[in-house]
Amino acid sequence: MRSGAEGGRPLIAFEDVTLGYYGVAVLSGLSFSIREGDFLGMVGPNGAGKTTILRAVLGALRPLAGRVTVHDEWVRFGYVPQRQSLDAGWPLKTLDVVGMGAYDRVGVFRRPGAPVREAALQALDHVGIRELADQPFGSLSGGQKQRALIARALVGRPTMLVLDEPTDGMDLVSSTSILELVRELHDRDRLTVLMVSHQLNEVANYVRQLALVLEGAFQIGETEEILTSENLSALYGIPVQVDQVNGQRMVLPREVPELGGPADKAIAAVGSAGRPDAATRSRGDAEALSAGMGPPPPGVGPASKDAPARSSGTGPGPGTARGEGDRA
Amino acid sequence: MLDVILLFREALLGALVIALGCSVLGVYVVLRRIVFVGAALAQLSSAGIALAIFLEALGVGWGWVTGHVVLAFLVTLAGVVFFALHGARYRVPPDAGLGMAYVVAGAAGVLLIAQAAGADVHDLFLQGNILGITRADALLLLMVVGTVLAVHALLYKEFLFVSFDPDMARTLGYRVTGWNLLLYLTLAIVIAVAMQSAGVLLVFNFLVLPAVTGLLLGRGMAGVFGWAIASGLLAAAAGFALSIPLDLPTGPAIVAVSGILALLAWLARLAWPALR
Repeated sequence: MRSGAEGGRPLIAFEDVTLGYYGVAVLSGLSFSIREGDFLGMVGPNGAGKTTILRAVLGALRPLAGRVTVHDEWVRFGYVPQRQSLDAGWPLKTLDVVGMGAYDRVGVFRRPGAPVREAALQALDHVGIRELADQPFGSLSGGQKQRALIARALVGRPTMLVLDEPTDGMDLVSSTSILELVRELHDRDRLTVLMVSHQLNEVANYVRQLALVLEGAFQIGETEEILTSENLSALYGIPVQVDQVNGQRMVLPREVPELGGPADKAIAAVGSAGRPDAATRSRGDAEALSAGMGPPPPGVGPASKDAPARSSGTGPGPGTARGEGDRA
Repeated sequence: MLDVILLFREALLGALVIALGCSVLGVYVVLRRIVFVGAALAQLSSAGIALAIFLEALGVGWGWVTGHVVLAFLVTLAGVVFFALHGARYRVPPDAGLGMAYVVAGAAGVLLIAQAAGADVHDLFLQGNILGITRADALLLLMVVGTVLAVHALLYKEFLFVSFDPDMARTLGYRVTGWNLLLYLTLAIVIAVAMQSAGVLLVFNFLVLPAVTGLLLGRGMAGVFGWAIASGLLAAAAGFALSIPLDLPTGPAIVAVSGILALLAWLARLAWPALR
């Protein structure tokens, strides 16, 4: 099990957990913990099970086996859903939507009053869009909506921010702006952060810890331990290179995976920005890189649906667990 | 003409109360994209009434238990529980379940009525019999719809939250399935009492068209509710008033006015960009 940030209290612990729906396992053998102060990115292709894990973290999905422990005395979630999951047709002002983050403190039968309104305005101020308070939520741009939803999470005075695909479908400027905001909230407000994304290159330079959720495999650890060419190559089953460009990490697959094959699905987690262009797609390149790589680290192998459920032991290295299910 | 309308004042009051109740609930129906839940529940309610008529014809009855309103409510309630809890586990998409309920309930109603009374009664199910509303019916409608609207006023925050963002609500500790069941239950109650005189067509109309008009004209939830209620009441009053001198069936006349109001709202939205 990963030890997490030094000195942080354990907030959430998964112990040999199997997750799924209606008795059908999607992921199994999950053992890891999230500690106070962590900035964890959970990355994987669509359908790999990221949201399933996130639902279990939030308590919306009970494990089929194993145990998920949430230390309620230390953790209060601020959940930021995928903005596309909210219907833009609802005639709600941005302030109304942000205020919902405090509804559980208002009490049944009571209307949210001035304190909720003031808290919502402060949260909007905190994320830099106070002037949009009276705008219809549905009319906001993608980036503005995301900021509003982060503000809504902040209204509840959370200790842990949980973001589901916060930059999905955004352009470079908007997504960078949102990721900078999340980093600021982590650094300035000392919020523990769990961020789910399918773009490895996008979150790799922000998060301190990284969990890779692939079809049939799960790996978690400190970002610098996960993002090594050896580890990623072993995990994805194709040669992968991790470069530094102007101090920024870039993960580049160096072989075109077989269309529709396991590696092709897994590599989607790297994101389109990391794919090599047509000129670099040659067997010679891939073979040369393969030949230069060392053996994969122990406990890590190609993703396989048939692999037995297994969790890593404790220690400084990244933990690994394998799933047996198909997809969420 | 006013004298004639006043002769049917209980019927007019009943129509206005049905319009009021359905228009408010219709905002949730339309915004939650469960329009066909409304249609299916109305049809199930009509099947419940048909079952009551069938049992009466057979001479089978257990007092109020087999009364029209009670059976309509029970059958509708069964539909509510099924639709609210229906999940992917059955491998049947929710809209297919709705279609199945709608068509089977419709056919069951026709068959039960054909055995009990005669095919002409089926037309009453579809179009309703607004003019047949008695003083007692109007008072029952007023009491039931008033109670339901009071519940909605008290629980507005909860119904809004679980409808708009159930995942977030769940994260904050809301029992979303329970709140959904309660919301659907209020829908079933209003539909069951409205169906006694309004018919499938009119109930479905009031669940959809006023809310559409409200969404086209209103700003904010209060504005949408306001315009939905106003257009529902106006359609009920105008359709009622026009149907008597023109010798038109009242239910379809009200539906026609509702349609015209929705069309005017759409044109107004096109003409005044500020409404967009």
